[in-house]
Amino acid sequence: MTTSWIETQLTEYLLERFGEAVQPDSRPGYLGFLVARNKLLEVCRSLRDEFGFDYLSSVTGVDYHPEPFMEVVYHFYKSTGGSALVMKTQAPRDNPTVPSLCSLYPGADFQEREAWDLLGIRFEGHPDLRRILMWEGFAGHPLRKDWREPFFEEDAKPFKSRWPEGHFIRVEDNNPYKNNVSYPPDFDPGKWVPDKDELLYGGLQSFEEDSEIKTERIVVNLGPQHPSTHGVFRMVVLLEGERVVDLKPVMGYLHRNHEKIGERNTYLQNMPFTDRLDYICSMSNNFGYALAVEKLMGIQPPERAEYIRVMMAELTRFLNHMFSIGFLLNDLGAFFTPSLYAIEERELILDIFEEVAGSRMMCNYFRFGGVARDVPEQVLDKIKTLVHDRLPRKLDEFERYLTHNEILRSRCEGVGVLTPEQAIALSVAGPVLRASGVPYDVRRADPYSIYERLEFDVAYGIHGDIYDRYLVRIEEMRQSLRILRQVLKDIPNGPVMAGKPQFQVRVPPGEAYGRVEGPKGELGFYVVSNGKPNPWRYHVRAPSFINLTSLKTMAHGAKVADLVAILGSIDIVLGEVDR
Amino acid sequence: MEVSLWIEWVIKSLFIILLLTGGFAYTTLYERRVLARMQVRIGPNRAGPFGLLQPVADGIKLIFKEELIPEKADKLIFILAPVITVIPALIITAVVPWGESVWVFGREIKLYLADLDVGVLYLMAVTSISVYGITLAGWSSNNKYATLGGLRATAQMISYELAMGFAMLGPVLMAGSMRMIDIVNAQRSMWFILPQAIAFLIYLATSLAEINRAPFDMPEAEQELTAGYHTEYSGMKFALFFMAEYIKMIAISMIGSSLFLGGYHWPLPAHWLGGFAGPINLFGKTVIWMFFIIWVRATLPRIRYDKLMQLGWKVLFPLALLNVAVTAAVIVLVGG
Amino acid sequence: MASQFFPILVILALALFVGFFVVVLGTIFGPRRPTARKSSPYESGMVPYGPGTRRMSVRYYLVGVLFILFDIEVVFVLPWAVVFRELGMPGLVLMIVFLVVLEVAFVYAWKKGALEWE
Repeated sequence: MTTSWIETQLTEYLLERFGEAVQPDSRPGYLGFLVARNKLLEVCRSLRDEFGFDYLSSVTGVDYHPEPFMEVVYHFYKSTGGSALVMKTQAPRDNPTVPSLCSLYPGADFQEREAWDLLGIRFEGHPDLRRILMWEGFAGHPLRKDWREPFFEEDAKPFKSRWPEGHFIRVEDNNPYKNNVSYPPDFDPGKWVPDKDELLYGGLQSFEEDSEIKTERIVVNLGPQHPSTHGVFRMVVLLEGERVVDLKPVMGYLHRNHEKIGERNTYLQNMPFTDRLDYICSMSNNFGYALAVEKLMGIQPPERAEYIRVMMAELTRFLNHMFSIGFLLNDLGAFFTPSLYAIEERELILDIFEEVAGSRMMCNYFRFGGVARDVPEQVLDKIKTLVHDRLPRKLDEFERYLTHNEILRSRCEGVGVLTPEQAIALSVAGPVLRASGVPYDVRRADPYSIYERLEFDVAYGIHGDIYDRYLVRIEEMRQSLRILRQVLKDIPNGPVMAGKPQFQVRVPPGEAYGRVEGPKGELGFYVVSNGKPNPWRYHVRAPSFINLTSLKTMAHGAKVADLVAILGSIDIVLGEVDR
Repeated sequence: MEVSLWIEWVIKSLFIILLLTGGFAYTTLYERRVLARMQVRIGPNRAGPFGLLQPVADGIKLIFKEELIPEKADKLIFILAPVITVIPALIITAVVPWGESVWVFGREIKLYLADLDVGVLYLMAVTSISVYGITLAGWSSNNKYATLGGLRATAQMISYELAMGFAMLGPVLMAGSMRMIDIVNAQRSMWFILPQAIAFLIYLATSLAEINRAPFDMPEAEQELTAGYHTEYSGMKFALFFMAEYIKMIAISMIGSSLFLGGYHWPLPAHWLGGFAGPINLFGKTVIWMFFIIWVRATLPRIRYDKLMQLGWKVLFPLALLNVAVTAAVIVLVGG
Repeated sequence: MASQFFPILVILALALFVGFFVVVLGTIFGPRRPTARKSSPYESGMVPYGPGTRRMSVRYYLVGVLFILFDIEVVFVLPWAVVFRELGMPGLVLMIVFLVVLEVAFVYAWKKGALEWE
């Protein structure tokens, strides 16, 4: 219903106001509008101010080689809910420049840097256009269609060397020089010192403010080798005494060019690959990808499969929030005790995943049109015991220990505050957004699967500090249990897969953006298909990556001890941040 | 001065030092097992029965580690700093009495090493010296964050020393003497924890801050600027810092038991078992006190550094002062 | 009187011996293979940026000075604590006056913000 409103009224208005610059995208299977580059900022400004599309969820680039253009795709949403407004702009391939939306939507910052890094699209007006996932000095732009990786074998899987013969050749064996590694004549690996990162350090604020006692400003590196940064993540912090003045996150230490590998894989081969994104919540990643491809294929899973999917997603949400709260307390110095209590519950849920999907963490359970296999009755009984008895009891106990602890409250209240306007402008999603007072939950704003029939509340906070994020996560765990109770009661019998399971799925050409409310935020998959067995473009809108844009705003004025707690409250997973 | 007296002192000193170093080794195991049990897991139980050889294994490993000295560090002070840290920890328990006398080889051996008239003053003085090692360790590492960490640790320790000094004055006032033996004997009828409850609580908190343990372990926390004063240390020198921390933990437990919990009197009368009941009492109280310290570490998150300093200066110090004044007033007015 | 401290000397000597013994043990048995990377100061795996030594914040100096002041106060209170019973009421009053004078200084330092931030 909303889609048709957008289609008709907005189309008319935009065509009237901007004339030729805005055109509906008429390629088969594509949605949204094509905007001319020179009018992009104007159009987006009117979208934000007049139409209320203030939440820019995803910015991504697509390379249409051998056609001579590249495209930048924007997904706009209203923070009050509703479906997407897709805008695209095209730029010629040999020198692609697009105006940057950072002045209107600060949340586009990291995503535009990623498009520059991986595709080579230059954004004019971007405050700090440096590479984000690769290092400065890397040659080339890896996601371009004409960029070949070392040991390149073929453009698309299945590779002829491995199928149908089943021959496996290690990439190292493809190296024509085998083990013979030699360094250039004047290079000594023992004495080599990496680049001094001048661009990075120089970008930190350096103006001297007037203050009574001039304390020196020093630059500190937190990470990558740091026990508390939730993975290999680095923050460059400009400190004045104990207070943080400026902060730049540096990521990409775990970058595997997931998206290019995704383009080489077939659609089904990408499913276990999505498990490795947010490796703690594998079921949610599968869910998002399955939704995107099902939109393209136009199929709908049967009822029982939908219920099973929601059950797995909510169990995942529970275990992720347990983990996240445990690690927040660990960052605050509670020496792992609350973490271990939380992890005990997580172990029970992981045992269930093992019985259902065959694996504890990398589940690979969802398929296009349903789930891989059915959930047997005894597993449903186990889940019932957990959901009705053990988990609510343990959650109450957990809350009793932690929520009113004075040390926790004194360290978390008022720290790392993010106002609602900042949160929306910075494209923050998930518990961080909701704790700032914006009750935006994809399950209610743009419902997918069977969430429209389920009764649950959206948890939100008022102050936007670390304590509110903690409370929001606890409340979301309770709501997950509520959803699980309904699902377990109403789950129907029936098939779990629409049609026959296939290895080579037929996906008609087009584009789709499938999003789910993952435990960390809105997890979106943008898939472009050209009818072939492999996707043309496969992009992951990673919530942890975009939530990190807000780190600098939250950390301003905080002390160093709080910095680690603030990072812990955003709840990042490096597999998702770096992809 | 008889030679036998010197021999007696040497033997007692040896005994104390062996007890403390052996106690350090098994306190690490005790802590790891207790922490583990509180965290729903088991703790080391592979090396030897019940993991009893774990400290031995750790010690051997640390001996064989490479000891790195950063290139521009001040070598002499870098090597001396851990030694300076561990010595006050080892000598502070010299004044704590463990019992009345025992009869061995026809001699009456008094169960204390040094009977100083100024026992409590000795305790405070040695505690103050132990701050030096930490400052020097941080400063000599040539690492800006280690220096900062060392300074923060020092500032924390000296701030809490004031409150600790006043808290220890409570039992001194009650007993009317600074001799540890007098203080312990004055608790024959009632442990000082009852009339000096506030001083006991303050001593509990400040002694934890003195040894840089949770919840006051911000200067050595890994979640901070990744540096405490001991970041650049490795191998046995690192082990010495650890040794100093755990031996101080044992020491404050012993001192606290003597000042507030009746020392070697109670629950068994001190002259039972040929006089050995006294040390057993003290040992039991020390172990219980250490369990409590470990329990606090497992449970509470860390207090942030500025709040920690505010706690020490603005809350504990005035409170301890008030306690001293009120105690003295009550004793003078009531008489005795 | 001084003879009371002889046992302390004995244990001090033994403690020194133990300390040095441990260090020597580590020096004998530990391998020594320094490389440039290993000897550089540690900053989370990155090359440290900026000048090496830096100025100390003035707050540490303040804490040190305040500590000296109030530690002397403790030291003066100690001998009185031993004999205050014989001194009775007049001694108590004098000591309370002494403490109050020093506490005025403490309150002044508090109000002036010397105890802030740390």
